[in-house]
Amino acid sequence: MARARAEQQPATGTTLIVMVGLSIAFLLFMAFLNVVKSGPVLNEANLLYAALIFYAGAGALYLGFGVTATESYIKFASLATWAGLLANTGAVVHRWYEAGHPPFASLYEMLLSFVWTLAALTLVAEKRYGVKVIGTVTMPVAIVGVVLMQLLRSDVKPLVPALQSTWLHVHVTLAMLAYAACALSFALAMMFLIQDKMKTETFLAGTSLFTVGLYAAILTRFEKWGGLSVIAWDAENKSEVFLSRGVRLFVTIPDLGWMMLVVLAAVAAPLVLYLAARLKKDEGFLATANRAVFVSILLQTLALVFFVLRARDGQYPSLDADGLYPTTLAASPFILTGLVTAIFASLLYLLLLWRREDLEKLLPDSEALDRITYKTICIAFPLLTLMIAAGAYWANRAWGSYWNWDPKETWAAITWLVYAGYLHMRITRGWRGRRAAYFAILGFAVVMFTFFGVTYLLPGLHAYA
Amino acid sequence: MALSFREISRNIWQTLSSIKTGVVLIIMVVILSAAGTVILQRPMTDAEDMQRAYSPQMLRILDATGLTDVFHTRWFVSLLILVSISIIAASVQRFPNAWRYYARPYKSPDETFRRILATKAQIPITDEERALSAADRALEELGFRPERIVRREGFSLFAERHRISEMAVYIVHTSLLLIFLGGIVDALYGWRGFLMLTPGTESAQVSVRNGTIRTLPFSIRCDGTGEETYSDGTPKRWWSKLAIVENGREVTRKEIVVNDPLVHAGIRFYQASYGSTGKLDHVLLTATPSTGTTRQPQEISLAPGQTVTLDSDTSVELAEFIPDYVVQDGHVYARSREVVNPAVRMVVTSRKTSRSVNFWLPEIPGIAENAASPYVFKPKDLKMGYYTGLQVSHEPGQWAVWSGVILMGLGLTCVFYIVHIRLWVVPVLDESGQMMLWVGGTANRNRDAFEQKFRKLIGRVQSELQPQETEAFEEQSTLFAGK
Repeated sequence: MARARAEQQPATGTTLIVMVGLSIAFLLFMAFLNVVKSGPVLNEANLLYAALIFYAGAGALYLGFGVTATESYIKFASLATWAGLLANTGAVVHRWYEAGHPPFASLYEMLLSFVWTLAALTLVAEKRYGVKVIGTVTMPVAIVGVVLMQLLRSDVKPLVPALQSTWLHVHVTLAMLAYAACALSFALAMMFLIQDKMKTETFLAGTSLFTVGLYAAILTRFEKWGGLSVIAWDAENKSEVFLSRGVRLFVTIPDLGWMMLVVLAAVAAPLVLYLAARLKKDEGFLATANRAVFVSILLQTLALVFFVLRARDGQYPSLDADGLYPTTLAASPFILTGLVTAIFASLLYLLLLWRREDLEKLLPDSEALDRITYKTICIAFPLLTLMIAAGAYWANRAWGSYWNWDPKETWAAITWLVYAGYLHMRITRGWRGRRAAYFAILGFAVVMFTFFGVTYLLPGLHAYA
Repeated sequence: MALSFREISRNIWQTLSSIKTGVVLIIMVVILSAAGTVILQRPMTDAEDMQRAYSPQMLRILDATGLTDVFHTRWFVSLLILVSISIIAASVQRFPNAWRYYARPYKSPDETFRRILATKAQIPITDEERALSAADRALEELGFRPERIVRREGFSLFAERHRISEMAVYIVHTSLLLIFLGGIVDALYGWRGFLMLTPGTESAQVSVRNGTIRTLPFSIRCDGTGEETYSDGTPKRWWSKLAIVENGREVTRKEIVVNDPLVHAGIRFYQASYGSTGKLDHVLLTATPSTGTTRQPQEISLAPGQTVTLDSDTSVELAEFIPDYVVQDGHVYARSREVVNPAVRMVVTSRKTSRSVNFWLPEIPGIAENAASPYVFKPKDLKMGYYTGLQVSHEPGQWAVWSGVILMGLGLTCVFYIVHIRLWVVPVLDESGQMMLWVGGTANRNRDAFEQKFRKLIGRVQSELQPQETEAFEEQSTLFAGK
């Protein structure tokens, strides 16, 4: 079925490139017309918008490659990424200047820095390591990042006393670099598994398991009678609604809980079918499983659309207070990120399913990927160490103690231990290949938990990010 | 057959120093730490929240096993100590070998070594001495400093770089142990507490984390404290002017802010918070005589309980301050402690008539006797009292921790970026009796990059040798030509 589909759409290389180029030019022109009426052209919002346009173009070309395997797309996608990075750098500089401090103080600013790092790393991976396809992964993430930024409050937030320290910049910069290196090692480990001829079905099971995990996390907000509880939003003050110090008000969006439950079943179906195929030794189940992935993507998109629509308009009741309260997408960044990531992971699986041979031709061989993964972790590990050390020193100056066993600190230490484990197993035990790749993937899973899971699921002192 | 003491102790040593033990211990640390982040921990969470989160039976089990304060239980600390011992044991077991490797460089490779070495090459030569000098030059060009080794059969060359790299791993582990040591010292001998001071007060008592009061060998005095806010009210800067008084003498003075503590005798004072004491500091008022003279209104400042003389006859005292007043049944009550609806009662006394009048601001109808007062007061400003919250800590072990961190930085740099390279050049005879220059090398890391360097070296040696061959050829050709 996948093959027939590919033959049905033989888009020629130049058509898409020209189309993307024209769209970029058109959008920029329209934006310019709009902007030239109102104030300075090169302000942060406009630069960010330009970056979005370029990243969207790059993403379209990378994904276009994913569908049609035309190599020339990659070259133009690179160019678009460069242009986007330039605009993004302008936005960062502008923000830095306006705020008087590097962009690390709020979620908006962190996203700005993160998107910049993603674009920079994409180009580094292409130039230095020769991994040209990495844009298919990083550009869509960058686009999501910029879109998320448009939804969040962007006024320059003044720094509270504890954040007014150079050590903040040192610690957060190191954290971003370390996490980015870990993300890169994860992508490389995945590519290794592709080149190591890991069966596509195993990727199916893995993707399905991952998306099940994401939806299970979202469903921790399942409320009695089928609603989904989200944080209420005070539109006037542009902040979350607090019942008392540190206690947020939750409202329940009705029926959304049931919808998420249905989608959970849909994303679990491929995994169940895969297990059935293994148990019954019947390959037919696998074909159904692949179709199930496709169906689940449609349902996931539906769930996302519903979530966005419901979150943006409407007043909802709360179990903790009287009256109806509005909410907004900015109040649920993690749910939004989870939904988008799940769709994205499923799409990447389809890319693998339909274009595996072409990917295998474009990627370096498995030995090279194994070595590059190791080298990337050799960069990530010292960065992680320095990040923890800088954080400890800063905590000592701000709060009087360098280690509090705070959940974020503890999980950062666990992350460090896992990567130390990887290095030990590799250096002392000679672990290579598959085992090393699994370890690298485990390491990144722990990084993701440290970064998202701790803030979303566990409380603590690290309330800033 | 019973195991002898020696055998038992050897078994214990083997287990302690094995990597498997290390891995198992670390996995246990990870699981317990993760549990400590998921289960609510005691000092950080209020007792009420704990009771709300867990059922009474569950809470009893969690408390009994220590899972509600994982990181301070004896068995967690013992686990960390066991990890340290395992690192020490593993290092001690492997160190002698590594040290022998480090202290006694292998400069002259024998035949077996030459045969099994992976990275090697053989270059045909004609003259041993020329070949060695050519190799010498090539090595120097690549940044090495070759050494001439005397062998039974002649000379050979040996060059190496960054031997310290062999010790790198021990540097990293030592640094880790140093950090652990610092942590343990702080856990045993360090303490942390809190101290609240209002401007003008001095104290030597700190309420420590575990509930006790600790008396410092000196006292700390607050000479002033303040807060700067941004336009939207969020705090921008908290500052305190502090002075240390020891044996009655002022020893140090510092204005501290968040992120910039005051340190004295190993004890650190951090600006942690700032707040209102809820008590009035003083009110600023203007006082005008009520019976019209043309005298200018006086500006006076009244602190609670303070009396100010207005003229030869009248004085006023600040008798009562209510932050949030409400009137009920003809009495004035305080509704809350927040400064929402402040009211001030002053007693104006006339010496002549020895009459006291209660002057209320604002003028509360039915209670205030403002009309009868010889002076009329108008409020100008209300200044509440503020305190500065200081975090106090004594962490003697932190120097071990910071030195450990720096050492670890150096160690990791060594481990990842400093490579121990060894190169040998030996003139040999191959099977057919032809003279060859055997070149071999090793690197303890980044072997693929080393292979490239080695190829470059061979190329260099060959190009250094070539002019000699060309010379020899030219000599021969001139010989022929000259004929």
